[in-house]
Amino acid sequence: MGKKNARANDEVKGDVNMSPMIDCCFLLLIFFVVNATAITVSKDPSVKMPSAVSCSELKDANGCIVVNVFADAEKMDVKALEKYNKNFPAGTLYGVSDVNGNNVGYNAGQLQDLTDFIKKQKELMKSRNIEEGMIRLYLRGDMAAPWERSAAAIRSAAAAGVNNIVFGTLPSK
Amino acid sequence: MARHKKIQTEEQEDPEMNISSMIDCCFLLLIYFLVATSLVSEKKLDISIPSSQQSASSKKPPVDPGRIVISGDGSVTWNGDISVGEAYNPDLEPGTDEYRSQRELDQLVEQLTTHRELAESAQAEPIVMLVGAGSTPHQRIVDVMAALAKAGIHSVGISTAEADGN
Repeated sequence: MGKKNARANDEVKGDVNMSPMIDCCFLLLIFFVVNATAITVSKDPSVKMPSAVSCSELKDANGCIVVNVFADAEKMDVKALEKYNKNFPAGTLYGVSDVNGNNVGYNAGQLQDLTDFIKKQKELMKSRNIEEGMIRLYLRGDMAAPWERSAAAIRSAAAAGVNNIVFGTLPSK
Repeated sequence: MARHKKIQTEEQEDPEMNISSMIDCCFLLLIYFLVATSLVSEKKLDISIPSSQQSASSKKPPVDPGRIVISGDGSVTWNGDISVGEAYNPDLEPGTDEYRSQRELDQLVEQLTTHRELAESAQAEPIVMLVGAGSTPHQRIVDVMAALAKAGIHSVGISTAEADGN
């Protein structure tokens, strides 16, 4: 009788070994963390992205110099306008993030400053051993922004020696 | 007294950490990153503008660079006289046939594909000049860029001056 009792006690103590599951879980977690940071470009919520019929996945954000091109304030919706007013002074046409992640805005008269910024970013990326061919202008133009604004940003990039342009888009519905 | 002490030490010998809360956090983070990575829906369209160094490349210059003109209302013309896209209407409902035909620019894709094939048969790189009016919405330019990407042309010269009449 006593023996039976002892066996019953042993069966109750059966534990599942959790450590392999936790290992797998951590591995997956690290994979997704790394993946998420690799394809993140600094996105400005005030820009309403255009959609394109044939576009491809942005696999690597390394070497992307992001320039946001804003539409006129009256063409923005309320939420976008609120964020735009919070981050930039009125009249800002181009928005970028500096090395410390701070928002910097340029207006129509500050295209030379935009060129200098792109030049500086290019040098910084070169010092981080990013190939020159991989350094691209990532143009996040608002769908309602006039083309002359985007073209001016492209000209600034060309003046800074960046000839590869990536148009940020959303997949077409 | 002695029996009581023995029981206490036996209990202390088997300390177990409760890891269930850690697993909970871990799973939550895992699900967050899983969802966050699949939500990144921003896509791209690559083009390169001709640089001063390209003139020294070994490839022959194209016989005739194609020319796309986009006027202020968003209508698109190919090589001066062929109309390949109607005026842009931003209020069309997405998903309708009208919206699709306005955005996909099938005629332009056809012309561009022919242009690329011609250039390739002459062993030259297909080059296209894109002349957009300054007031054209950025969305219309992206439509034309998408047509270029669909036709397999990635080298584009960009200009704003002439379509404005300046």
